[in-house]
Amino acid sequence: MRSLTARTDAGTPAAARSRGGRAALALLPLAVLITAFLLVPTVALVWGSFHDSKTGAFSLANYSYLGHPLDLIPFRNSLELSLASTLVGGLVGLLIGQAIVSSRQPLIQEIATTFSSVAANFAGVPLAYAFIATLGNSGLLTLFLRSNGIDLYDGGFKLYSVLGLTIVYAYWEIPLMVLVMLPPLQAMKRSWREAAEILGASRWQYLRSVAIPILMTPFISSLLLLYANAFGAYATAYALTTGFVSLVPIEISNLINGDVSYDPGQADALAVGLAVIMAVCIGGRAILERRSTRWLDR
Amino acid sequence: MANDPLLARIDELSGAFTDGQIDRRTMLKRLALLGLSLPAMNLIVAACSTASATAAPGATSAVGGASAAGSVADLTSLIAAAKGEGDLYQTGIPPEWVNYQAIFDLWKSKYGITIDGTATEGEYSSGQELDSIKNTGKPDVGDVGIAFAVQAKTQGLSAAYKNSFWADIPDTAKDADGFWCCNYWGAQAFVVNTDAVKIPIKDWKDLLDPSLKNAVGIDGDPTKANDSFFAVWSAAIANGGGVDNIQPGIDFMNQLYQSGNLTAARASDTNITNGEVKVAIKWDYLGLAVRDKAAGAPNITVTIPASGSLASPYADIVAAKAPHPNAANLWQELIYSDEAQLLFLKGYAHPIRFDALQAAGKIPADLAAKLPSADLYKKVTLVTDITKITAAQTTLGTGWKIVVNS
Repeated sequence: MRSLTARTDAGTPAAARSRGGRAALALLPLAVLITAFLLVPTVALVWGSFHDSKTGAFSLANYSYLGHPLDLIPFRNSLELSLASTLVGGLVGLLIGQAIVSSRQPLIQEIATTFSSVAANFAGVPLAYAFIATLGNSGLLTLFLRSNGIDLYDGGFKLYSVLGLTIVYAYWEIPLMVLVMLPPLQAMKRSWREAAEILGASRWQYLRSVAIPILMTPFISSLLLLYANAFGAYATAYALTTGFVSLVPIEISNLINGDVSYDPGQADALAVGLAVIMAVCIGGRAILERRSTRWLDR
Repeated sequence: MANDPLLARIDELSGAFTDGQIDRRTMLKRLALLGLSLPAMNLIVAACSTASATAAPGATSAVGGASAAGSVADLTSLIAAAKGEGDLYQTGIPPEWVNYQAIFDLWKSKYGITIDGTATEGEYSSGQELDSIKNTGKPDVGDVGIAFAVQAKTQGLSAAYKNSFWADIPDTAKDADGFWCCNYWGAQAFVVNTDAVKIPIKDWKDLLDPSLKNAVGIDGDPTKANDSFFAVWSAAIANGGGVDNIQPGIDFMNQLYQSGNLTAARASDTNITNGEVKVAIKWDYLGLAVRDKAAGAPNITVTIPASGSLASPYADIVAAKAPHPNAANLWQELIYSDEAQLLFLKGYAHPIRFDALQAAGKIPADLAAKLPSADLYKKVTLVTDITKITAAQTTLGTGWKIVVNS
């Protein structure tokens, strides 16, 4: 609909052409970037996944993992971990985001935003060690709880498990959710609520008929972003579990770095599997994004 | 016979030839001057060569410089020749690694010959070392992983030299033709935080004790890291396997993991000192170093499993095109000498001549007190067979997937 408006604005067909030409020129750097860092690697990945690493001949053998239950466990672990950390991060992040907006204190909003950007990027080995020191078998919190009669590890908890990783992933998923949800939450107009109240709507009716329908699309699209983010993460999980919890990114790394199981072709095939999941997430987000901007744009 | 001048002269020449002071051509020329017939000369030379071969198993220096025969006379001429070259270029020998700095110092104070290459390629990995030997032609000597020592021989990158201590070195730790020789090794050990672990940890089965929940750790992913790969492999020894069969080691680790004793936390220095890993299975020299670093906080002991464990050696090679062949050979003489071998031990690397030094009572008591007992080391098996290493890695590749995914 917008492009339609743009075309009428452009006036004569000649003017439209020249404007189109200039726009194309401006897009050139992006096009180069996408070609070099997205299209070329993707093509190479798909090509490699259909060829035997040793002989170079065409082969479907790299995809044999799809038929082996043991080789699908990394996918199951990755899916579980991503889903759990997305739900935790998404719900907690949404509540915190709403609390920040409701506070109407610019200082709090600023501090929260700054903290969120830092925390959302705190990952990898430092984060792993921070969690070992806190929630590890000899971590501060674990020892404190133990001295108070609650033994997490006797209760079956392990930091080095899918559950443990979920908590660690939530550490950056929550602030990421806060960051991506703040704009739509801030865009919710006070007048909508006031209008609903004047018309006699209860708090619940306002939520059900106004707030939730509007926020649903940005919320779901944020969840998809969180999900993709968790699915692709590698460094933190590896530093924490030294491979004991097998995840797709860790398996891929084993196949391209490992002395033992070196097979780049199979790594490509796993990466294609990963890419399909990521593409579904990001594609879904893009579709929803388009729908929600209709509501929130002014 | 001694008063027969001809025989005395032949004796003298034979001695010089056997000791390597004169070469075959000079020997023949001088014998001819004495008026001997050709068949007679050949007989004498052949007799000397046999004597030489038995007296000195080495003497196959490919470079044609001084040959090693282990006699003082030879060492003296080797030192003189090395001093004439005036320099030694090393690759992949970092000064801070296994006390090499002290060995460099010993070399300089003993022979006054400079050491080159430390700053540029001291930190090279084994693969880079071989590349440097092949492409630059600069290095004289290198310190490489065992697989690379074998590779260097097949690619013709190394020269043969048998040091004077050849007889002390186990057959599995040296190339029969002298193209490489292992100088020190590390063995898998139990590194125990005795502040946290109250039961004695002496052997593999002790690791299954129910009090060790989440306490036992290995140093990384065994499909990636050599240290933990050898930890899994070593566990095979006590469980019916060994160098030829890693599977029982994988099964034991699986049992340990399923029982909840094996933690996924990596047995890194940090995780050992902060108590996250209370019993680490890792290289003895790394464990001894972290014990010293922790200095009682926590208290750490390092022991070799009673049923035994596996050891992985480093090997020395002399470059085939060494610009300073005599210095390279002299370096071999130095690093296998009692003095340097004890310096390796001081850096917690287990010198290859440990047993000989031990038998001769040459290991100082204060140094021995810092190490696991020498008796326990008798159960350690040195792994040098490349085909067996590859086979174990292949078995682990599929076997480990089952451990972590079950």
